[in-house]
Amino acid sequence: MELEAVVQAAKYLAAGICMGIGAIGAALGEGMIGAHALDAMARQPEMANTLLRTMVIADAIAETTGIYSLVVAIVLLFVV
Amino acid sequence: MLEHLGEELTLRFPIGGMEIAFNLVVMAVAVAVAGGLVLLSLWIRRGLNPDPDAPLSRRAALVAAAIDFFRDQLLGGVSPQLGERLLPLVATLFLYVLLCNWIGILPIPYIVSPTQDLNVALGLALLVYGSTHYYGVRTKGVRRHVAGYFEPFPFLMPLNIIGDFGRTLSHGFRLFGNILGGALLTAVTPVVVLRIADLIPVVGGALGWAARVPLVLGLNLVFGLFFGGIQALVFALLAAAYIQVTAD
Repeated sequence: MELEAVVQAAKYLAAGICMGIGAIGAALGEGMIGAHALDAMARQPEMANTLLRTMVIADAIAETTGIYSLVVAIVLLFVV
Repeated sequence: MLEHLGEELTLRFPIGGMEIAFNLVVMAVAVAVAGGLVLLSLWIRRGLNPDPDAPLSRRAALVAAAIDFFRDQLLGGVSPQLGERLLPLVATLFLYVLLCNWIGILPIPYIVSPTQDLNVALGLALLVYGSTHYYGVRTKGVRRHVAGYFEPFPFLMPLNIIGDFGRTLSHGFRLFGNILGGALLTAVTPVVVLRIADLIPVVGGALGWAARVPLVLGLNLVFGLFFGGIQALVFALLAAAYIQVTAD
């Protein structure tokens, strides 16, 4: 009984830490990508379409580690 | 309010000490979406006039606009010859994933996006992985396709193969994680808001219920329609990029 409560608490704590720290890198990366894409679009507005497409791909790739931590957090919450 | 979250209609088959589970709802919805796409294309094709000099009908204009969109947005980074051969595959992937993501916002119990099931997302990613080899062999021939794995140095071959699998895995997990995360947030946030509103004395309960409708609509708009569209676009774009990298 006692142990089960500790395990439950550890599960929620672990999911929170996992998602919180895991999101930092993805957020920073996406911010940088967005900032630089805006820079380039302001300099060359005629390239905006190509830049937007490349930016979305780069965003998706930068997001991957964040998605991994989301999957781990979901597994911790609902499966473990 | 969240009782139905983890609940699934599954068929389980024990096979040699392991258990294989089939999620019937996800299978039914995935097949229904594919069937709906086929019916939609048949319906659109019936309205097309094969005579090129005929005045442009509304359906023909729709098809032309869609194909222009696919060529410019999905295959803009691919060489023209390969792009024409990729167009059917990539456009179908985009439409299928888009409809799969969007069907989850229907307020019908048990109807969920098939893409929030790892099996569907990873299955689509494996399909893309298989077609990279198909298009690689078609454009370069077997010898040069296999030789591509021994570049830039022969001893890096295992790393190239592991990289391929990691790419496929993250391709599937990206779609799965985004859609499942969005669906969970859409389901959980109204409940949390209602509980927090209950802490406010007297008016709290009514306030929570009043905030519920715009909250659910907004969450479905952002996580269902907007992120669903972006993720479908990203999935198809990455599929085109992966095939192009292998086929070049």
